[in-house]
Amino acid sequence: MASGTVAVVRVAPRASRGLWGDAWRRLLRNRPALLGFVFIGVFVGTAVFAPLLAPHDPGALYPPPPDASSGATGPYPPRPEHLMGQDLQGRDEFTRVVYGARISLLVGLGSVIFGVIIGGFVGAIAGAAGGRADNVLMRVVDVLLAIPGILLAIGIVAWLDRGLPQITIAVAVTNAPIFARLLRGGLLAIRESDYVLAARSVGVPTRRLLLRHMLPNSLTPIIVAATLALATAIIDVAGLGFLGLGPPDPRTPEWGTMLTDSTKFLRAAPYLIFFPGLAIVISAVGFNLLGDGLRESLDPRLKK
Amino acid sequence: MTKYIVRRLLGAIPVLFGLSIVLFAFIHLIPGDPATAILGQHATAQRIAEMREYLGLDDPLPVQYVDYLAGLLQGDFGRSFINNQPVLGEFLRRFPATVELTIAAMIFAVGVGIPLGRFAARYAQRWPDGAVTVLSLLGISIPVFVLGLTLQYIFAVQLKVLPASSRIDARLQLDLQTNFVLIDAWLHAGWTFDEKVDAFVDGVRHLVLPAIALGSIPLAIITRITRASVIEVANEDYVRTARAKGLTERRIDGRHIMRNAWLPVVTVIGLQVGGLLAGAVITETVFAWNGVGRWIVDAIGNRDYFVVQSTILIFALIFLMVNLIVDIAYAFLNPRIRYA
Amino acid sequence: MRRTRFGVLLVAAGLLVGACTTGASPTPAATPAPTGAATPAPTTAPEETPKAGGTLIVALPGDISRTDSALIDDSNSSYVMNQVMEGLVGLKPGSASEVIPVLSESWTISEDALTYTFKLRTGVKFHDGTDFNADAVKFNYDRWLNIPDAYSKLEYTYYLDVALRPVVDSVTVNSPTEVAIKLTAPNSAFLTTQTLVPFFISSPAALELGKASDPDFANNTYAQGGAGAMTGTGPFKFKEWVPGDHVTLERNADYWDATHAAYLDGIVFRVFPDSTSTLNALQAGEIDFTQTLSPIDGKTVEGDATLQAIDRGGSCNLFNLSINQTHKPFDNLKIRQAVAYAVNKQSIIDTFYAGQAVVADNWMPPGFFSYKALNLPTYDPEKAKALIAESGVTDLSFDFWYPSDVARPYMPDPKGEFEAILRDLEAVGFKPNPKTATWRPDYLSAEAGGDYPLWLIGWTCDWAGPDNFLSTAFFGYRERSDNTFGPNEEFGYKNDAMWQAMDNALKTNSLDKAKEYWQQAQDFLAADMPSVPMLSSKPPAAAQLYVKGFVPNSTLTELFNTVWLADH
Repeated sequence: MASGTVAVVRVAPRASRGLWGDAWRRLLRNRPALLGFVFIGVFVGTAVFAPLLAPHDPGALYPPPPDASSGATGPYPPRPEHLMGQDLQGRDEFTRVVYGARISLLVGLGSVIFGVIIGGFVGAIAGAAGGRADNVLMRVVDVLLAIPGILLAIGIVAWLDRGLPQITIAVAVTNAPIFARLLRGGLLAIRESDYVLAARSVGVPTRRLLLRHMLPNSLTPIIVAATLALATAIIDVAGLGFLGLGPPDPRTPEWGTMLTDSTKFLRAAPYLIFFPGLAIVISAVGFNLLGDGLRESLDPRLKK
Repeated sequence: MTKYIVRRLLGAIPVLFGLSIVLFAFIHLIPGDPATAILGQHATAQRIAEMREYLGLDDPLPVQYVDYLAGLLQGDFGRSFINNQPVLGEFLRRFPATVELTIAAMIFAVGVGIPLGRFAARYAQRWPDGAVTVLSLLGISIPVFVLGLTLQYIFAVQLKVLPASSRIDARLQLDLQTNFVLIDAWLHAGWTFDEKVDAFVDGVRHLVLPAIALGSIPLAIITRITRASVIEVANEDYVRTARAKGLTERRIDGRHIMRNAWLPVVTVIGLQVGGLLAGAVITETVFAWNGVGRWIVDAIGNRDYFVVQSTILIFALIFLMVNLIVDIAYAFLNPRIRYA
Repeated sequence: MRRTRFGVLLVAAGLLVGACTTGASPTPAATPAPTGAATPAPTTAPEETPKAGGTLIVALPGDISRTDSALIDDSNSSYVMNQVMEGLVGLKPGSASEVIPVLSESWTISEDALTYTFKLRTGVKFHDGTDFNADAVKFNYDRWLNIPDAYSKLEYTYYLDVALRPVVDSVTVNSPTEVAIKLTAPNSAFLTTQTLVPFFISSPAALELGKASDPDFANNTYAQGGAGAMTGTGPFKFKEWVPGDHVTLERNADYWDATHAAYLDGIVFRVFPDSTSTLNALQAGEIDFTQTLSPIDGKTVEGDATLQAIDRGGSCNLFNLSINQTHKPFDNLKIRQAVAYAVNKQSIIDTFYAGQAVVADNWMPPGFFSYKALNLPTYDPEKAKALIAESGVTDLSFDFWYPSDVARPYMPDPKGEFEAILRDLEAVGFKPNPKTATWRPDYLSAEAGGDYPLWLIGWTCDWAGPDNFLSTAFFGYRERSDNTFGPNEEFGYKNDAMWQAMDNALKTNSLDKAKEYWQQAQDFLAADMPSVPMLSSKPPAAAQLYVKGFVPNSTLTELFNTVWLADH
């Protein structure tokens, strides 16, 4: 889908604030994008200020409600001291959901940045070099894209062992081919464009041409795709956790892992599934809204 | 056209070949010895050595690969290390479950997505459009497992109107022949027509929740694309001309708009089929669905080399074939495209 | 029966000399019924009159592996085959270890304890209509002794390899109704092991028909659900196996023991790999009975008036916080004791087992032969801290492992239990580093090879005897990977005096002596603290209210011929 938006954006001759300034103003007028900012703000704010927001320690156990019968075990439903209830062992679910934002943000962002770097590197080489190198690299990308992403990620985690850095790499590698294709497509389109031909004809060196002229102009689709990829990365990370491939320390409050640990309480304690699930959805909605907004504002031809 | 198809089919061969090498290398890179997976805890070194020899794991990797490839070309997909059953047999037994689920999800996504997209386009920029946009935004933002658990909670736990897991009521004792529950219901020997209908309905009831969970993302995307392409086509000159000619809206819609709006929609449907196979991995876990999805996840963990290599290869083959079919369908829908 | 765990059984070494009983009365050899494992009451009140007919839908946690009882090593296969196949001897219904005659009428044991002579029942027919007789018994034992090497390589012959081929020398037909089994060495566990499903008698005609000894396993239909498959003498007959889905049995109308013929028309065993979907199906009325549920789902069933939770009474498993003392700091006894004082076993039982478990005070479940209360350390964090201080060890960091993708009957929530133990350890000053791996192959092969310093594992009994836990599962000396004989590499626990006591217990021909030696061994364990036994759990079964007549057994040797369905 995103590949359809590969666009050659040229700076309009009378643009008062340049490409980015225009885009920014358009973005601020885009209501869904602003809403996306709000959601992302909640998500990032929660992650950054987790220790201030969370009333408890994510790993610690807390006593059952005073009216619980003796010998009773968790989970316990929400009450004022524990807004989202307590899990089987008596941990505070609210605190865990709040700290979970840190994990999702770190791993999600890390995997997208890393994915853009790998994919961008491959795509830039393919797009700039063209010919045989392009052909070989793109066939590798085809092969990777033919493997269902989640299976590729599972395989990478199996290979590299459990842990948040490993999950970051796994999700990055599954995302990378998309970025590779995007950047290559953009570069190829620009390579043939008038201004590059013009620059080349006056003898601008290839390296300079690539860095100063071609890359910046192929960046917009990447920015849009990366924003949308943040949404899927958060979902993919949680998916790995849901399949039991989350971080090895069970105290790590990873949303997908929290969900999979609570499926056995679907009847008894649906709140243990509802809140982490809601947290994932809010973050994903935020990045999806912003991504769509960015696409519309960065590509002036796309009008609603 | 034939020439184009042949060329595309030939073009798939290097990709599949490359994929088989990548998969082979990758699965052998993962540390962990399938021989110890079979032998378990107290195997002596000698026993492990014997098992490795028996399984052919001591041969150099290129030799193992060539053996595997030679087997593949003769239709031999190898045997599972875990239960020593041929991979192909187990795959064919499980795959119909995944296909049945995938088709149901696709029917849901297309059947709901296209009308919803057209509906939104008709009321573009008004509140029904907004509602549909929010819905499709949620569709791509809710992970399959969150939606699956939510549906289970609402429809199975609270309302008790639909079953929470498995493919069919075990009590019906349906004979599995094709392994498609909805087909086997009609093939079951010795059942009256009413019993067959009951079994079929039960199968459908079990399909509803997993199909909705799995189909939510394609639904959202198909809705969006349908909406966008209907709006785009509706602004084309020929549509305006048709309208100026005084054709009924119904006719404009059917003859002029949808015929052209189909193009991107078909492309997206094709792309989504590949995504569905991946989504099935998680959906099958949530709904205890006995398909290939969960099997392959376990196989990666167990280093069940042949299961992993062969099933992912088959997945990829299906993915490539679906893309080809989409491109051909594209040509049929759009007479301007001529493949040569 | 057991989790797939391949040990060198001491029985295999043929070390046990039985009490030289001569006489017709069936006496359990060395392992009297565990007193703690009291026989639970059947699910039927005696005044109810059983009703014939109906099909029972049973949920099993996994598929059967093969349809040849001799070639299995998993509890799902043995659970199904217990309904179809019978042995010369069996366990008394509801008892974990009392041996009773089944296809034999009685037996005698020679003075030298080497020859067991069985008098066989007459008038028994296999499901294919052929006669059960001494020739059939010999045919089966001879086949086991000469099972194709290829099957061993496929690792299908665990029980034959450890409990039969090294133990049995030869089988002689004395008359059509009398057969003599000669052992290679005295072995009083022999009768007990013969109650295990792998030693049940198949129809020789069916074995031939199904090419059960074909060197190429692919041709063997007997073991793969094809021609001949699973042909025994039991109250139910094999009908079909759809791998990964279900096994169907039907009533044997010609069962030799007419008074114990089945009430049910048939049984369908269906695979439900996880407890949650099993509970879903049970509550939706899609199944009648489930062999097992997680303790938490068991609690849900207890609170559901439309279902019955079935308590199996005793326990036949042990959850073990395992230590390998070749790793630092666990080479230090005080550190191992500190671990034992640090963990709160009762709290883990309350949280993760819904109370359905007992704190372990030994390395076997309570009530077993020779069981002794060892007064092992109980939860006392201060004492743990003091011991750590005394030990002088300063580097308290180590890797601590749990399996990521399984639940076991003794360990329903490995991750949660791991976390609870982790917290207890940190509370007294340890610095455990959390690690996890996939159960198969990574976790099992690494822990067996002694790679893990501290990890979670346990044991579900093959049979209810002290040897099966203390020696087979844990600390018996054995063949090591370098082909020497010595301490189990898994635990790295070397104490020759302890092993001598176990060895003596296995070899003695006196019950009193055996008890004394086993208790000596237990005292050594208590002093050395080679691991921390946590608890023995009681995994529940559950059924619809109309399921009657079920007799539970902690060893899962449960026969469905007494089960019937009330009107509903």
